[in-house]
Amino acid sequence: MNRNFWFRFLEWFCPPALYEGIEGDLLEEYEADQQERGMRKANLRLAVNVLRFFRPGIVLRNRFKFELINTIMFTNYLKVASRNIVKRKLYSFINAFGLSIAIAFCTLIYLFVQDERSFDQFHENKADIYQLLTTQFDPEKFKKGEKDFYSSNPYMPAKLGEVLLEEFPAVQHMTRFNNYNQGVMRYGNKNFTQKFASVDSGFFNMFSFSILAGDRDKPLRKVSDAVLTPEVARKFFGDEDPIGKTFTLDFDGRIVPMTVTALIEAPAANSSLTFDMLVMMDALPWFQRSRPNWGNSSFPTFVQLLPNTDPQQLKVQLDTIMNKYQSGYKAGWREWLKPPEGVEPRVFTYQNLTNIHLAKGVYWDRNSDPMYSWILSGIAVLILVIACINYISLSLTTSASRRVEVGVRKVVGAQKKQIAWQFTFESLMLALGSMLIGLILVLVFLPYFNEFTSKGIELTYHSMLPVIGIAFLIATAVGLLAGSYPAVFLSGFLPALVLKGRFTSKLQAGFTKPLVVFQFFLSACMIICSVIMYRQMNFITTKDLGFDREQIIVVPTQTGWNAQANQTVAALRNALKTDRNVVSVAGVTAAFNKGWSRYGYKIKGENKEAFVYGVDTDYISLLNIKLKEGRNFDGRTSDSLGVIVNEALVRDMKWTDPMTEHLNWREDTVGLGSPVIGVMKDYHYMSLEHAVEPMFISLDNGMLTNILIKLTPGNTPDKIESVKKAWLELYPDRPFEYTFMDEDIAAQYDKHTRWSKIMGLSTIFAILIASLGLFGLSGINAVNRTKEIGIRKVMGAKLTSIFVLLNRQYVLYAIIAFVLAIPLSWYAMNQWLESFEFAITIGWQLFAVSLLAGLFIALATVSYHAIKAALINPAETLKHE
Amino acid sequence: MSKEFLGEFEELVLTMAGILQDEAYGNAIVNEIKARVGRDVNLSAVHVTLYRLEDKGFVKSKMGGATNVRGGRRKRIFTITNAGLSMLRAMKESRMDLWKLIPQLKMIGI
Repeated sequence: MNRNFWFRFLEWFCPPALYEGIEGDLLEEYEADQQERGMRKANLRLAVNVLRFFRPGIVLRNRFKFELINTIMFTNYLKVASRNIVKRKLYSFINAFGLSIAIAFCTLIYLFVQDERSFDQFHENKADIYQLLTTQFDPEKFKKGEKDFYSSNPYMPAKLGEVLLEEFPAVQHMTRFNNYNQGVMRYGNKNFTQKFASVDSGFFNMFSFSILAGDRDKPLRKVSDAVLTPEVARKFFGDEDPIGKTFTLDFDGRIVPMTVTALIEAPAANSSLTFDMLVMMDALPWFQRSRPNWGNSSFPTFVQLLPNTDPQQLKVQLDTIMNKYQSGYKAGWREWLKPPEGVEPRVFTYQNLTNIHLAKGVYWDRNSDPMYSWILSGIAVLILVIACINYISLSLTTSASRRVEVGVRKVVGAQKKQIAWQFTFESLMLALGSMLIGLILVLVFLPYFNEFTSKGIELTYHSMLPVIGIAFLIATAVGLLAGSYPAVFLSGFLPALVLKGRFTSKLQAGFTKPLVVFQFFLSACMIICSVIMYRQMNFITTKDLGFDREQIIVVPTQTGWNAQANQTVAALRNALKTDRNVVSVAGVTAAFNKGWSRYGYKIKGENKEAFVYGVDTDYISLLNIKLKEGRNFDGRTSDSLGVIVNEALVRDMKWTDPMTEHLNWREDTVGLGSPVIGVMKDYHYMSLEHAVEPMFISLDNGMLTNILIKLTPGNTPDKIESVKKAWLELYPDRPFEYTFMDEDIAAQYDKHTRWSKIMGLSTIFAILIASLGLFGLSGINAVNRTKEIGIRKVMGAKLTSIFVLLNRQYVLYAIIAFVLAIPLSWYAMNQWLESFEFAITIGWQLFAVSLLAGLFIALATVSYHAIKAALINPAETLKHE
Repeated sequence: MSKEFLGEFEELVLTMAGILQDEAYGNAIVNEIKARVGRDVNLSAVHVTLYRLEDKGFVKSKMGGATNVRGGRRKRIFTITNAGLSMLRAMKESRMDLWKLIPQLKMIGI
């Protein structure tokens, strides 16, 4: 290493003021050494000497001194900044408003994402708990050419968990978990429908839901034991001690007495497992029936492995079990799914408890798509960027008034760095101020946000701290980011030029133009997306579904899946016959958005699938479903054999004359199957996310557990009251519950409605912030050109031409922005619309509407200043010259 | 004034700066200490001490004129200030006062 290296090194760490003196001394010594001891020694001694200079006394010298000056100037900066904020109230307001909304947005989104990630994290054993999955070859995915052509679902054979627990020593606990059981619970004179979950005893060992009272050791010992959450206990037992109380549970056609053995903590809002009441698996007759059957996969199953067990072992064990117990079914699956050679038709897999929530492909009642977190974060960042751009462009365009200040500061001796720091400090101050407002906004809007996103986020004293931390981080980042460009720009003024007064009153901050275009672009994207989403939601909620959905209430029979259900429908129809409030009463196995059943059957060696609804004779007339051919069911006894099919099924079967056909859906080997007695026009029995698939209705298929009641138009609550009276006379011990069919149908789109609302709201905020920024900018622009306008007016320019002159550029910006925004939003919205089978087409009209809306908003904002400027008497502006 | 103290090495360097007057720069002080006291001191230590003395106001520094030696680099010349001089004097006097308190007879006794 030669001496130049060492000197460069010295130069790097040494404060510049000291460098020359030190370098000189070192050189002198080096020269002396060279003569006395020779080149090599001299080089060595130089290196040692330089290294010895690398000490705090040299390296850090003077660094703290600058800091000292900055803190001295601190109070001054604070004073000047606050004076500026007060002096330019409008701009301060625009900036603070935009930034605080942006910060509030970002904080809320942070809370959302945090909540999404916090699901099931509260379980102590979360690392060792796995949910078992049935993973099956998916012919549709395979056809689309997807690499992962498997679909998973959490429904397992009942025996699987038991066998794992017995045969695999690493499985410590196991529980099955079905939470869709429903029955009528009665205590004293109280009766309500009550959902309940059935579990195994392992449940209490695995999950961290604490037992609040009662048997902590083993809460469920007998099939008649029940564990309640405090809320349910209060509902039925009021203030009495619920432990040991006996109530009856009416489900599955039986009435059984149950005893409360314990109270359990209700699952938190961020728990994937939800329940109000727990009973043993064995309490369910249908569990006992399907338990020995390896072909019936209906039971979500969780296992807990011994700590530090490699879950890969579990996979090996699952494969073994699959081969041992289910090999008999494989041929059938293979024939049904037709996977290519070498691909397993079905395997068992697993996923960790904490992955359930964001595994969007696996059905689970509370899981969600991580995509939403991304979209929301994207929107938050967009709004933040728009607010930052406001800040940058406003501080650049208003910088004229700060020039003299910068000039004087520089003349007095401020360095460029200090002035940059001053402006950064100002933007930091504004950002931190906005942060406080933003945090208040978060507190105010959190309930609405929860409602929008259907979350239960709560801000406690404890969780507030990270929120404040995040808000502080965002604010600081924004302050530095938004402040840095103006700081560099403003600190670059040359004092001589500025103070001589030879600068024009118009500021050429060329950088603001692309910023404004970019801002327009972001707003345009959001406007287009909102317009399209709004149109689509409008389309699906008003589209003719092929039947009447108004004035119909849906009443569950509260009987469970048995013959009582059909009797209930008939009895109620009879009771309401004379009621003038009721048009008609019909029974159906599954009402809209309340389940469905689909049959797979084989006709002439071909696999066919169709949705099946069991109905009664009044179904078609009540819903006003149009028949294309044939007739409705009437009283004939032979009708119980017949089916009415929809057009899609006719197409699927390639029937030319459906009235002569039979549908052999029960795979009757002797007869021809059910005769087709009618063809319905296609109606949307499923949501518009799906095409109308083959479907038929039959009088003889299952239990009519839902009653449809069509009411006459007019005062609905009174009419419902009259139905309720009739019901309670018939069944005083069954709760009367009802929903409106049109609301049930709308609820299918809850997710989409929610997202279009969120999008709409974000767009409003984004537009508001961007418009405010634009308002400020156009104001400055008008003031900059006051003199020009005066001269033009003196020369005879018309009001309109001045108006056009001032607004022309904004119109141009808006159009450029829209042209840029169209492809992006078109792509994004196409992706979204793909989730609907029935979607609007994105035509140029939608873009034109968005463009016009955007232009209108932009023009409305800038016009105030333009008109004001155009109306000023030129004498006022020119007389000072 | 009385609250300021000088360390032994600081005092040595300050004294040398006083001795060398217009020729007091880093290397010269190192050589002077070597010549008069026989101590090998490190250049960087001398520099740091000089800067510290400057911070305390006992020396002032300015850049000297360019020379042909040492690659044309200018020297940083340190001159002792009045405060530095009075500090040295005060230290010398307080040491003399203490010295006087040592019983001289003992010396003779040896």
